[in-house]
Amino acid sequence: MQNLITILTSSVGRKILMAITGLSLALFMAFHLFGNLFLFVGEAAFNSYVEKLHKLGFLIRIAEFFLVLFVMSHAYSGILLWIKNRKAKKVISSYSKGNTSGAAKYAAFTGSVVFIFLATHWSTFWYKFNFDLQGMSYYYVVTESSVGFGSPIVSIFYIVAIALLGYHLKHGIASAGQTLGVVGTKYESIYNNISAIFWFWIPLGFISIPIWFGFIVRVI
Amino acid sequence: MNINLKVWRQKSGENKGLLKTYRLENIDPNISFLEMLDILNIKLVKEKNDPVAFDHDCREGICGSCGFMINGRPHGPQKATTVCQLHMRAFNNEDDIILEPFRAKSFPVIKDLSVNRKAFDKIISSGGYVSTNTGEAPEANSTIIEKENADEAFLSSACIGCGACVAACKNSSAMLFTSAKVSHLSLLPQGKEEGKDRVTKMVATMDSEGFGACTNTGACSAECPKEIGQINIARLNQEYILSSLFSFLKSRK
Ligand code: HEM
Ligand code: SF4
Ligand code: FES
Repeated sequence: MQNLITILTSSVGRKILMAITGLSLALFMAFHLFGNLFLFVGEAAFNSYVEKLHKLGFLIRIAEFFLVLFVMSHAYSGILLWIKNRKAKKVISSYSKGNTSGAAKYAAFTGSVVFIFLATHWSTFWYKFNFDLQGMSYYYVVTESSVGFGSPIVSIFYIVAIALLGYHLKHGIASAGQTLGVVGTKYESIYNNISAIFWFWIPLGFISIPIWFGFIVRVI
Repeated sequence: MNINLKVWRQKSGENKGLLKTYRLENIDPNISFLEMLDILNIKLVKEKNDPVAFDHDCREGICGSCGFMINGRPHGPQKATTVCQLHMRAFNNEDDIILEPFRAKSFPVIKDLSVNRKAFDKIISSGGYVSTNTGEAPEANSTIIEKENADEAFLSSACIGCGACVAACKNSSAMLFTSAKVSHLSLLPQGKEEGKDRVTKMVATMDSEGFGACTNTGACSAECPKEIGQINIARLNQEYILSSLFSFLKSRK
């Protein structure tokens, strides 16, 4: 057991943990987006979707527990490795900054913005939906209230944070393929082909919601 | 051709370093980069100055001794080329050329452009070996090796341990080097004996020697003089996952 702990807390072990938690969160985003898109179907559809979810009760709580656990362990390992890497290197050269892509270089930064976003997301949307509806409908909370896209500040922060999450995943998904050893196997090309769904199309889907309800609907 | 060199001068690891400028005139563009440094050093010695320290041995691109940063790039501007195989014709007349040591906490500066790469030796000695029978060399065909594996192992074995990958990496990670060694041995039947925990031992040493963690950015392969590919890192990770599962199952028994 001691042996296994040593293995899982090595730099490679932590990366494997990050890859598994990160990919699971990216998969979760697909389900989450599916639900959110009911907003475009209409008020009744969205409200009844949320009510159905809440009826699952206990199951939802378990899923939420794992979501929080995954975000925390992903962020924890990410920060630990970031610190280790900062200690290992001061500068590449006084002349050049090297050839690393921006998405890779800023992964810890984009991840941290996403973390702040998730914290506010939970303390506003999640809290309201579960404990503080004050007679509002779910649809109203999202589209009109001051914690939702009724506030342009919320909308803009949402758009920026999700865009950065997409940028995080642009590197993250490719990196996870390497970390989990998919690269070099026959699954590599399938993996690369579907990765854009997760780092581009799904974040774009999320962003479409504040753009529509926060801005376009208010102008037309 | 004439060049203006800016060379990192540092008496020892404890002293602070700085870039010093030297001008060389009438350099033959067909001499090698290290021969150009020899000319500089002869000049410095004649002027009773301290010559520039730099590592070199084979000067034919196979030993891994040479290596420093030229204009911010390990081994200089030419792809898949060690410093010793680089020629002055890769530069232009009146170029400014900046020379710095490989920078990484795990590669402390010994003097000027020379760094201590002992940490690599420690990674190797923690797992980069095979158990073989001594005595007469066995008949070549007594161990059959698939062509594909032999080719891949050959590519991985091309790593000369120069450390350019660490220097190129924003995290000073030694993953490319370590993964080339792990791949090379794990692809061949001779390496199977120690295969179960070679990778975990080598990664543990890599961590304890202070190298950073790989963030799969690929800067290393782009600068590697032997074009060691990212596939090696994926292979190390596969080996690592298998080895952890193995050790988990063993601990349950
Ligand atoms: C909560 C705040 C977060 C922080 C602080 C964070 C930080 C990081 C860091 C530092 C890396 C390493 C990047 C690299 O290898 O260069 C990373 C990788 C990754 N992140 Fe995040 N991240 C966060 C949230 C997320 C979320 C919400 C997702 C998914 C929806 C995600 C998905 C990934 C994936 C798939 C990887 C690749 C793992 C690997 O390198 O193998 N991250 N993250
Ligand atoms: S992987 Fe390439 S850059 Fe790194 S030590 Fe080996 S030969 Fe040098
Ligand atoms: S001196 Fe041997 S590789 Fe350059």
